[in-house]
Amino acid sequence: MALAGVLAIGVVIAIVEGRGSSHGTITIRGVIGSEKQAFFGDPQVREAFARKGVRVEVDPAGSRQIATSIDLARYDFAFPSSAPAADRIQQARRITMRYTPFSSPMVIATFQPIADLLAREGVARHGATWTFDMSRYLRLVARRTRWDQVPNNTAYPVRKDILVSTTDPRSSNSAAMYLAIASYVANGDTVVRGGAAERKVLPLLSGLFLDQGYTENTTEGPFEDYLSLGMGKTPLVCAYEAQFVDAGVRGRLRPGMVLMYPSPTVQSAHTLVPLDAKGDRVGRLLTTDPELQRLAAQHGFRTADPARFAKLTADHRIPVATDLIDVVDVPSYDTLEHLLDGVAKSYG
Amino acid sequence: MTGGRARAWRVVARLTAAAVLAVVTGCSGGTDDAGRPGTLRILAGSELSDLEPILRAATKATGVGVKLDYAGTLDGVQQVLGGQADARYDAVWFSSDRYLAVHPDGRSRLGPSVKIMSSPVVLGLRASVARRLGWDRTRPTWAAIGAAASAGRFTYGMTDPASSNSGFSALVGVAAALSGTGAALDGPTIDRVAPRLKGFFTAQRLTAGSSGWLSDTYARDPSRVDGLINYESVLLGLNASRRLPEPLTIVYPSDGVVTADYPLTLLSSAAGRSGDAFRRLTGYLRRAEVQRRIMTQTHRRPADPDVRPAAEFAAQPPELPFPARADAVDALIDAYFNRLRRPARTIYVLDVSGSMEGARLASLKAALTALTGADTTLAGRFRRFHDREEVTLLPFSTRPGTPATYVLPESRPEAELARIRAFTQGLAAGGGTAIYDSLERAYSMAEQSAARRPDRFTSIVLMSDGESNRGASADSFRAWYEGRPPQARRIPVFPVLFGEAATGQMTTLAQLTQGRTFDARTQSLSEVFKEIRGYQ
Repeated sequence: MALAGVLAIGVVIAIVEGRGSSHGTITIRGVIGSEKQAFFGDPQVREAFARKGVRVEVDPAGSRQIATSIDLARYDFAFPSSAPAADRIQQARRITMRYTPFSSPMVIATFQPIADLLAREGVARHGATWTFDMSRYLRLVARRTRWDQVPNNTAYPVRKDILVSTTDPRSSNSAAMYLAIASYVANGDTVVRGGAAERKVLPLLSGLFLDQGYTENTTEGPFEDYLSLGMGKTPLVCAYEAQFVDAGVRGRLRPGMVLMYPSPTVQSAHTLVPLDAKGDRVGRLLTTDPELQRLAAQHGFRTADPARFAKLTADHRIPVATDLIDVVDVPSYDTLEHLLDGVAKSYG
Repeated sequence: MTGGRARAWRVVARLTAAAVLAVVTGCSGGTDDAGRPGTLRILAGSELSDLEPILRAATKATGVGVKLDYAGTLDGVQQVLGGQADARYDAVWFSSDRYLAVHPDGRSRLGPSVKIMSSPVVLGLRASVARRLGWDRTRPTWAAIGAAASAGRFTYGMTDPASSNSGFSALVGVAAALSGTGAALDGPTIDRVAPRLKGFFTAQRLTAGSSGWLSDTYARDPSRVDGLINYESVLLGLNASRRLPEPLTIVYPSDGVVTADYPLTLLSSAAGRSGDAFRRLTGYLRRAEVQRRIMTQTHRRPADPDVRPAAEFAAQPPELPFPARADAVDALIDAYFNRLRRPARTIYVLDVSGSMEGARLASLKAALTALTGADTTLAGRFRRFHDREEVTLLPFSTRPGTPATYVLPESRPEAELARIRAFTQGLAAGGGTAIYDSLERAYSMAEQSAARRPDRFTSIVLMSDGESNRGASADSFRAWYEGRPPQARRIPVFPVLFGEAATGQMTTLAQLTQGRTFDARTQSLSEVFKEIRGYQ
């Protein structure tokens, strides 16, 4: 794979230079939320960039890690997976420019036997697509229900609390997005705002993460486990819709893998913050280049043109909700930080 | 760019794929001064030595050199947390990053990470024993396994959790499963499940500082224990090696396991200089054909979901939660050593002949003192003489000296540790070297002591800086040893190669007693004494 990728670039560079372009290819480095790694590694994407004289090199990292601990001096752009993480980078580095070339809602990936089990418990509903009822789920969590305590559960009688697998909320954006959803429901279907509301929801939110035990830094991790290890490790995993769609397009989904939409859900707006002029060029290309927009849709992201996403998912028979109705707002940057810090404290 | 360069590119485009690769590689970022893709220096778990052929092929294919240095569980964690790894390594590769990542200081030191393969920690039992317990037909819960262990219905060997990742994962897995809460472990839960865990660990009759030594020791004498707790890959490898008279049946506990997922992780300090080499190497290791080679050569499961797992792998068992907090993990390791495991009977046979005078004696004193609680590093904390441990120091020169035996109490061990320290400080050098007379004395003491309390792990450390020149010879010792009862013959001797020690004789002695040698000529005596703790 890597070999093929390198080869492709080699050939592309040769073609570009052969056409007698006036300047050489420049290398632009970025740090990205890990769920976009497949997109940037795609030979077609690299080719589309190369045609514009750009070679993009990326390192994957958790989005909050990008916003907090990673040394950004080495990079030309940062491309976390949410607006709040981008906000933080912009504030810290006094940057006003940003690009949001694509977005993806948060989903729950699971397996048919688990979906059926949760449907019997009233936590999941099957309509045009599967819906995961956050409010009923949080009630199960508040009672600390284990899988082996669910009546007539022969599918997954495991001595483990019913908990959606997430990434580490201290570093990863997808966990922060999941926290945003849970905080809305725990706050009586209202976006959390202000200290009193934060204090009210924190104990429940902390349990959602701490009781899972160790969690990984990037969404790549648990979703790869979902694909490769199956139900045993991750019966329910919080992911970006794009990850599921991308896996479907590539034929990596196996029979029995089920996509559910949390009710409500939130949109993760993949936001590129340019750190210099080179990084700005990547932001502009991703937003305006038709080929790159087409390829983003191909990777499961929702782009400016909804018809592309609808056609792709129909072609590959991936049961997505084309119109998202039950979408709520992410809390403000400050509130989200307070909640994440509150959860982080309980990690000690 | 000049017209000449542009023409050169046109020529390149028509060259063979290999040639293009070479040129592009030469031009890429992250190279060393000579334009090569550089070398990735990796601090790794010792069990990864079986990947060396695959890594050599990786270097051939990618141009990325790979240099592996091996470290035990806590040692590796300590090197990363303390920042020593930053200067010496670009990446770490352990069975899991979980323990590192739960440390507040650990997370920021870890950069991008790619999982390469996986293997759950499971129980392998001799086929006839698995049949007798009915576990060849139905998967038992950990509670059932724990109950059978407590009742003495089977015995097993497991590695030391502070030294070896498989022991560490097993400890976490068993504790998580027996806690019964379904949530990740915390401090109070560990206290609550301690009695059940203690029952489970009464059946542990063999300990080791590394997975490799544990499986070798078992393969040499499978009658010692009924089975092993180890990586699935090690157990499958043992079965495939045809070294066992009776294969191991792999028991997958129905309520879950802890799985090693081998993330190759770039240190954040190396992200700039080594990112390119890291991407090339991980890209290679995740190629489908390489994933298949890893699977067939090492019996580990592929990380690539598109690679079909071999038939030897059962369905992936459920995964148990790993603690979210470092203090919970540390409390668990602490409990294992000081409360849960069968306590050790540790005999040190210490050469204080004339040649030890000076620096050598000083380093011996330092090495022993470090084990009395003076070493406060993460690795050192779990390396001290443990609560309940019986420690005998037998100095010798021309003849065996007066032994001193200390039994550490169940709590507040400070006073007893201070007495060991004081005895150590009083050691003085002089006289000849009666190695075998002293060893015979150590065995006799161990036998007497074992007759009073048979429920201890008993072992002998022999530290000498020269050849035996007084008393019994190596041959007469062997004859004497072979006349001992079977239980005594299972007490291993761990000879430490120091100074002008007789390497050949020491190696023979280790083989005879199913111990192993440790080399204190290439590393400090303190390091070696710490390493031996994993085997005691």
